[in-house]
Amino acid sequence: MKTKYIFSLVLLFVSFAFQVSVDPIFHKPSNFPKPVYDFSKNQLSSDKILLGRTLFYDPILSRNNMISCSSCHSQFSSFTHIDHALSHGIEDKIGFRNSPALINLAWQSSFMRDGAINHLDMQALAPISNPVEMDENIGDLVSKLQKSRPYVNLFYKAYGDSLITGEHLLKSLSQFMLTLISAESKYDSVMRKQVIFTNQEKRGYSLFQKNCSSCHTEPLFTNNEIMNNGLCLDSSLNDFGRFRVTSNPLDSFKFKVPTLRNIEFTYPYMHDGRFKSLNLVLKHYTNGITHSANLAKELQNPIDLSSNDKVDLIAFLLTLTDRKFLFNPEYFYPKEIFSEIVKDRE
Amino acid sequence: MQKSSLLFQALFLVVASFTTAQSKLVQINIKSVYADYVIVLKDTGFSLNDSDHLSIDLIKFYLSGFQFFKNGKPVFKEENSYHLVLPAESNPFIINILNKNSQDFDEVQFNLGIDSITNVSGALGGDLDPTRGMYWTWSSGYINIKLEGRSDLCSSKTKDFQFHLGGYQSPFSTLKKVKLKVENSSIINIQLDIKNLLDQIELKKLDHIMSPSEEAVRISNIVANSFSISRH
Repeated sequence: MKTKYIFSLVLLFVSFAFQVSVDPIFHKPSNFPKPVYDFSKNQLSSDKILLGRTLFYDPILSRNNMISCSSCHSQFSSFTHIDHALSHGIEDKIGFRNSPALINLAWQSSFMRDGAINHLDMQALAPISNPVEMDENIGDLVSKLQKSRPYVNLFYKAYGDSLITGEHLLKSLSQFMLTLISAESKYDSVMRKQVIFTNQEKRGYSLFQKNCSSCHTEPLFTNNEIMNNGLCLDSSLNDFGRFRVTSNPLDSFKFKVPTLRNIEFTYPYMHDGRFKSLNLVLKHYTNGITHSANLAKELQNPIDLSSNDKVDLIAFLLTLTDRKFLFNPEYFYPKEIFSEIVKDRE
Repeated sequence: MQKSSLLFQALFLVVASFTTAQSKLVQINIKSVYADYVIVLKDTGFSLNDSDHLSIDLIKFYLSGFQFFKNGKPVFKEENSYHLVLPAESNPFIINILNKNSQDFDEVQFNLGIDSITNVSGALGGDLDPTRGMYWTWSSGYINIKLEGRSDLCSSKTKDFQFHLGGYQSPFSTLKKVKLKVENSSIINIQLDIKNLLDQIELKKLDHIMSPSEEAVRISNIVANSFSISRH
């Protein structure tokens, strides 16, 4: 009888623990919803995260061992390519879209500007294989890694298997990317009632809620949808957005709604980086919308903002900057491991 | 390390021999043919000395979800059933499936391609590992079938044809169910006739498919209908 009682108590605790967190290491910010990523298929571990972080910074991912993920996704700009409308990849070849910031990826349901990638695990395959980004092939990459003693050790430590597979490689990259959580901005502190907005920020916040939040939904500042936000076609790029993925004309000019977190540092803006400043972005929404059949319904009616409104709105947007994220040492280039890796390659 | 894996293997053999006491293996031979010719892909590829100078360099396809029926009722199915068929490795390509209760059946069913749930499940291993070359990189999804070769009928300069068929989302879902009546419950000889397929593609007008499309769906249907039980 007594053992039965203890057993059910243990069971209760275990089920409680599972309810509280989706993953023992993954920390969900209190003002965030449940993540989209299924952690049961790729439980976080510090060894796997470190392996993913090492891979993220290693140019071995590219055909000529020159371009790493971090080449176009640097931490200080919230893991995007600051000042680059379009990024340059292998041999300085220019890509055709602006590199997106990597923030709160555990809550994203699709990846890339056109949502072509359906799962975080599979995202890395795109830049690795793209002929103007890394131009490598996942099979060849696995063989390169298998020849590196430090990597064989890292994979063995992470998975208990020294045979490197594509699955483990991709899951490790996911592990690191899942830790890129930004939830320590001033906005978050205000929501947790730790500080308050200035009057200007407060005015900006209500303008934001009225005009922007139906697509840039709080607290992630995206609704994860793929929509036409009324940008005119740049004829030098001829980028038709999601149409490329579905071949459905109704998907023309549709792009993923990006998060606005850390927007202070993710310029230039839009899928092709056409706007250098937030002012220009706001000008687009008030005066520059191109009307077409599938324009987002949220943009059908004109958005009216005075120049003072715009200043206030931008003041609010700057409260989305998360300096702790931008300088978090857990995301840094793992120097010690690379000294080993480099030594091994010599 | 090695010692323990040996131990595991021994243990596995013991367990396997116990389970096979009541269960039987079903051996499925998948033979890729061109009419009466067995397609041998090793090294040089398969070529036919006909007027079209047809040659085939690559055939790879996924078969999944094996299920067995008796009088139209399901008897058993293979769990985690995903097989990448590689005629270049061996033709016929052999798939062994454990028939747990040794039940008789008169029909086999499988999918040509990978189901939509697996397509959205992230990185997977074994035959589903993206290093196997059957996963699109620019847009997510498994390539269900790869068929590549050359024919004078193609209008391209190089006379190459290249069909990468896949797509899991409506309206371009390419997953196809194949059902075949069988007489024998221990060995099933299935053949895939590439001639039947190429006869129904007008290579002059269509010599490559590289993404989900209406044509990919149509051709996948033809491939599915090119499977049959072979008598020998």
